Amino acid sequence: MDFLFSYLVLALIYVLVGLSTNLLVGIVGIFSISQAAVFGVGAYIFANLTMAATSMPFILALAIAGGACVLLNIVVSLPSLRVSGDYFVVTSFGIQLVASAVFVNWVSGTGGANGLPGIPAPEFFGFALDTPPRYVVVAGLATGLGCLAFWLMMRSPFGRLLRAIREDEIAIAAVGKQVLGAKVAAAALAGGFGGVAGGIFAAFMSFIDPYSFDLDASILLLSMVVIGGTRTLAGSIVGPFVMLALPQILTMIDIPSTMAAPARQFAYGVLLIVFMLYRPQGLVGERL
Amino acid sequence: MSYLQINAVDVSFGGLRALTDCGFAIKEGEITCMVGPNGAGKTTIFNVITGFLKPDRGSVSFKDRALTGMTPQQIVAVGIARSFQNLRLFVDLTALDNVLVGIRHQFGESVFGGLFRPIHTASSQVAVRARAMEILDHVGLADKAEIFVRNLSHGEQKLLTVARLLATEAELLLLDEPASGLSARALEGVMDLLRRLQKDGKTLLVVEHNTRVVQKIADTVLFLHQGHLIAQGTASQITSDPDLAEIYFGGVI
Amino acid sequence: MLLSQLLINGLVTGCILGLIAISWALIYSTAGIFHVAHAGIYTLGGYLAWSLVTHGVPTLPAFIIAIAICALVGAAIQTQLYNRLADRQATPLVILVASLGTLAIIQNTIAMIYTTNILQFPLGWNRAVIGIANNSIRLSYPQILTLFAGAALCLGTICFTRYTGLGKRIRAVANNPFLADITRLRPRQTYTYVMAIASGMVGLCGILVSLDFGLQPYNGVLPLMTATVAVFAGGIGSTLGAFAVALILSVLENLALLVMPGEWGVAIAFGIFIVFMLFLPTGLSSLYSRR
Repeated sequence: MDFLFSYLVLALIYVLVGLSTNLLVGIVGIFSISQAAVFGVGAYIFANLTMAATSMPFILALAIAGGACVLLNIVVSLPSLRVSGDYFVVTSFGIQLVASAVFVNWVSGTGGANGLPGIPAPEFFGFALDTPPRYVVVAGLATGLGCLAFWLMMRSPFGRLLRAIREDEIAIAAVGKQVLGAKVAAAALAGGFGGVAGGIFAAFMSFIDPYSFDLDASILLLSMVVIGGTRTLAGSIVGPFVMLALPQILTMIDIPSTMAAPARQFAYGVLLIVFMLYRPQGLVGERL
Repeated sequence: MSYLQINAVDVSFGGLRALTDCGFAIKEGEITCMVGPNGAGKTTIFNVITGFLKPDRGSVSFKDRALTGMTPQQIVAVGIARSFQNLRLFVDLTALDNVLVGIRHQFGESVFGGLFRPIHTASSQVAVRARAMEILDHVGLADKAEIFVRNLSHGEQKLLTVARLLATEAELLLLDEPASGLSARALEGVMDLLRRLQKDGKTLLVVEHNTRVVQKIADTVLFLHQGHLIAQGTASQITSDPDLAEIYFGGVI
Repeated sequence: MLLSQLLINGLVTGCILGLIAISWALIYSTAGIFHVAHAGIYTLGGYLAWSLVTHGVPTLPAFIIAIAICALVGAAIQTQLYNRLADRQATPLVILVASLGTLAIIQNTIAMIYTTNILQFPLGWNRAVIGIANNSIRLSYPQILTLFAGAALCLGTICFTRYTGLGKRIRAVANNPFLADITRLRPRQTYTYVMAIASGMVGLCGILVSLDFGLQPYNGVLPLMTATVAVFAGGIGSTLGAFAVALILSVLENLALLVMPGEWGVAIAFGIFIVFMLFLPTGLSSLYSRR
């Protein structure tokens, strides 16, 4: 039963990250391979804040983690999107690789390869979050808010502008609307979602290490959105639930433990190609 | 005061000279047609006027205000908007959405408004949608508002490009081949629309290949050839000139 | 002196980086595809050569066969995957995701077959070093090979694209695929040739690097990402520009070892990219081609 709760919490957290990825890749239409890095930045900042001598309240720490990631995404997307989408691809790889290097090597801030153990279970107005069912509530609330925000945004004139930008930037400029600002704003929002998700992840796991936030993790997060379905809210929700169930299916096949991780990543790769070839809209999404 | 003034514009792409000492003036309230063989530079001059292309030399001024160095968005704000030969409509959006995207000063188009003040956004959108429906009605597409652009006919798409322009409230409209590829009936509809726009007080600069359209709607005709203005006059003057006809249909000066 | 050793090391890895950059740029400027799976082929080259050598195939034929297989794999990716996607009107984003999936497949297949342990070539000569300039600079044979290969292939690519029939076709297709299509230049066939040539080249890079540093399944992404920085900073379409920036990048990364730990090398490449993006997005080559 505990196992089911853990699956639920993780799936909900990944839905939040999935919203972040979907915003960038599905809605704005730029390829991002750094979502795990942003997720990680949020997690490490949250962990440092709550593990400090003067332990910070849960919500505040989450807000700061989210805010830092908003800034991070603005700093990253502003110069690169000014040039072209392909420049953002290179930047995104760069962010992911530099972030991984920081996570592994900046021992004082991140504990290095050994990670940060002992992240305290947060207290939420006297409501201690120390059992999986309670985490489900918190993760559910946060993700629910995230989904609401995503849905509101998509229905708003801002969402309409983003969809039009994705189709034809030149036509948008020709009707007098700014393109870069909208894209950077969407990237900033994506950062916020990712950072908050990272904070909740850190609180739930109580131990984080660089290997949850590396390039392979970014590939998994991308797969969740692509396979679930891009450009729709439903896709961001379905994807993580399906993809997190996958390793369970793989355990039914007899694979030596050293091969388990590569086998998983291999499976993600195959799924990505199969879906791009035969169902680019994912399970419940719109055409990427 | 001159309305739209083009002065000695030069544009080259690599070795290709698209515009050479191109200059002309547009009078306010008129429908001016720009004609000339393919490659004469008509779309290029549109790109220069609307800020999509920087000229190597020369300048453009609108109501005595220099447009040099302005972004396309700033030029729309000043009052000039253009359509595209290949339409560039948002095919996965509805006709109404295409017009809505063009309407200026909408609350909720920034992430702050759209996300943090959804109620205010929704209520201000009521007026915006009404305005967009008015525009669609004006071009004759009111009943197609919720249809996706990919499902509209070619003629209806052409009308929609004009509607999207009207949303910007620009007073000078640059139309790149608004009548090409249309059936006779659709053609009549477009010409009617253009004349109605003139009555509404808009000034139109229209690139057109169809001489009948030119004859029917143009107050002034500009003949462009090899990036340079070589003739200007009324429609009957231009279309009855045998030298120009030879250039237009393939002769060389 | 340590400084000159670092300089030479920088030039050597710069040649590798430069060749990865040139080969990747060939694909990017011709087919317009951001081919991340290129990193997988780089890794594949090394492992193929290693397998052949450890099964008794003589060194030179082993290397040639490995390069040939890389070329074939590259061509197969183009014809079986990218062409199919193009037929379905795939957006560049879809193609990029598919390329990423291909990379994951290649890297992890290698990891499953060969494990993630670092493997070394069982040849005697690849570990031998010679000393020059009074033994103040030490070069291994693979490093010397790399320097030659770098210069030769860089020059070769420039001449190839400028003077040979296929090379000119490649440039024509890169310039205007639509026109190329209707004038019977058959861009698809050109894309396949380009992929084959580029994949062979990067396979060779993988072999040269692994002679010195050993084999690891995930060793391709970082070099490729650094190489793309070199391509963009050097100016897309400029072979010499990409190669030059690659050399500069590598030398800087190596010299930086004097002042900071090696793990931060990636930050240098990335920092340079940011500088270029902010101040010279069209790359170095646009400086001397400005009218």
